[in-house]
Amino acid sequence: MRLYEFEGKGLFKKHGIPIPSGSIASSEADIEKLVADWKGSVVLKSQVLTGGRGKAGGIKVVENASDAKATAKALFGLTIKSYPVEKLLVEPKLDIKKEYYLGVTIDRANYKLVIIGSSEGGVDIEETAAKHPDKIVKYSVAIDEPLYGFDALALAKQIGFKAEQVKAAQSIIQKLLAMFRAYDAKLVEINPLVELADGSLIAADSRVSLDDDALFRHADLKDMGIEKRHEEGEMTPREQQATEWGIPYLDLDGNIGMFPGGAGFGIMGNDFIHYYGGKPANFMDSGGGPSPERIAKMLVLLDENPNVKAIFGARFGGISRCDDYAVGVIKFLKEHGLSKPMVMRMTGNMWQEGVRIFDEARKENPELFKNIEAHGIETPIEEISKRAVELAKQAEAGEVD
Amino acid sequence: MAILVNKKSKVIVQGITGGAGLYHTERMCNYGTNIVGGVTPGKGGQKAFDRPVFDTVKECVEYTGADTSVIFLPAKFVKEAAIEAIRAGIKFVVVIPEHIPIHDMLYIRQEAKKFGTTVLGGNTAGIITPGQANLGIIPDIAFKPGRVGTVSRSGSITYYVADTLTRSGYGESTCVGLGGDPVLGSTFAEILAKFEEDPETKAVVMTGEIGGVYEEMAVDQIRSMKTPVLAMIGGIYAPPGKRMGHAGAIVEGKMGTAKEKLEILAGAGAHPCKTFTDIPKTLEKLGV
Repeated sequence: MRLYEFEGKGLFKKHGIPIPSGSIASSEADIEKLVADWKGSVVLKSQVLTGGRGKAGGIKVVENASDAKATAKALFGLTIKSYPVEKLLVEPKLDIKKEYYLGVTIDRANYKLVIIGSSEGGVDIEETAAKHPDKIVKYSVAIDEPLYGFDALALAKQIGFKAEQVKAAQSIIQKLLAMFRAYDAKLVEINPLVELADGSLIAADSRVSLDDDALFRHADLKDMGIEKRHEEGEMTPREQQATEWGIPYLDLDGNIGMFPGGAGFGIMGNDFIHYYGGKPANFMDSGGGPSPERIAKMLVLLDENPNVKAIFGARFGGISRCDDYAVGVIKFLKEHGLSKPMVMRMTGNMWQEGVRIFDEARKENPELFKNIEAHGIETPIEEISKRAVELAKQAEAGEVD
Repeated sequence: MAILVNKKSKVIVQGITGGAGLYHTERMCNYGTNIVGGVTPGKGGQKAFDRPVFDTVKECVEYTGADTSVIFLPAKFVKEAAIEAIRAGIKFVVVIPEHIPIHDMLYIRQEAKKFGTTVLGGNTAGIITPGQANLGIIPDIAFKPGRVGTVSRSGSITYYVADTLTRSGYGESTCVGLGGDPVLGSTFAEILAKFEEDPETKAVVMTGEIGGVYEEMAVDQIRSMKTPVLAMIGGIYAPPGKRMGHAGAIVEGKMGTAKEKLEILAGAGAHPCKTFTDIPKTLEKLGV
């Protein structure tokens, strides 16, 4: 979960990392209230969960109150990479002498934490890595290994902090690592870490990403107003609906509704549809051990999507059992009804029970199943994929006729 | 022969008295897996599916001589449970639940390295050596003893690959699920190295997906192998910047695209496959 700059800075402050004094404005009225206290130039920084906001015009320096109001108005109307600007961080303009970079992340290949520092701050670290690899210093530390003061000091010197700053830099490095560990972070970055005219160091920006799966042990974040959020840009209405129902779901631009089992085949099944000349309308994952209710809701999402012309169903029951799956599909058929052709294959744990449940329901009311072509383990999944592409093409052709 | 688990493995289930633990213990036992006991703190002395239940892994190991553990517990208890198993002398730990905090996985991996323990998962379907032992949630319908090993980040893909291998008569030596989480107990490279040492495994099918670095990290291992490796990567048509179900399945920036992974693996000598039907065709060409 990515935090807003001001939230990340709140965590910096809590850990003793110096930050500029700042206020949050959610409206033009807030800006007006803040005007009274201002001395000198002020920066208005759009708070969005994406990088590159400077280039997108999301950060503005203002010199006086009327300028501030007009600029704030323009910023509140801005959308940066599909994120609408809803909050501005208002800070005094810093007198910057030099910009450094400091970050901590997880080196997944080596299973260690890695502290990264550079004397070339203020630009994307990947850009620095490409242009000036010699200006990047890395230091690995195991999750349970202390970072001693002397090691942090040596690292500060190696990064290139000046003699009068190395003690302050050492302290910031240790505090940043402590914060990384304390909050189950995936990434914390101070970019830039700024040297002011008086020689002091201050975190001018923050980028913090926390592990969603560890939020349960950080109840204090909620007290700070930091709650779980969607961080991948604006969701479509259907994606929002799916999220509310607890279903991982993405809208894509094709016409085949994808109703797979696990995420792995959800991903690969989309490729298969492409290989056979079709295009999926969505990505979906049932999650581990879905209830019949969730299975039914997955189908509701597809049946009510006007872009979907045919549905591809695949269930290889593992932790998600075929009996639960069959009950869910039938619940959908009875309560909602299937208006589109669907080809599906069901096998795996409890498949006999799944088939029995289907057979019984079909005997009771064959009409419910009129749009379904059901297969078992005897039909390879590639054949099911091809058939879904065919069904979608037929449906499209039928509409044209 | 097989890797990591066989009919002699003495297996315990951590979380044996829970709903999923109990259901899958019964399945695993019915398959013939040598389940010798289980652990649920506070329920020592009880029985679950006729297996003795202990409060701690240490007691369980002392009484049963167990060497392998399958964990069926909520994610937030996994760090404690896995480290308990590792310190009690368990040599192979399979972590079924998903959404394990990443820092917890780093602790588990650290401990596992210290004790020479192999960890699979989190978010793995488990591991199966057909005809001998089935650990986790794997539906055995698709599996038959045979000569091709598989390793995958996804449970469902493991089932489809085995389904294909069984259908085409090759069968499987052992099928390993690495797991779908972003930080995993084992890497492709480590599992491939074990397959390379297994004389019964004549080829390995590795299936990866978008995101992360585990596929790329296998390059040196693949280059050094005599056993042929077939590679399949899911997400060739994945939208960038969007997480696809698995927490680890996201293309971040230019990193972790399926196309790039497949090219890198092919460059190291792996045989790329597009769909499951390409697998038997490739095996036939290789004379496996």
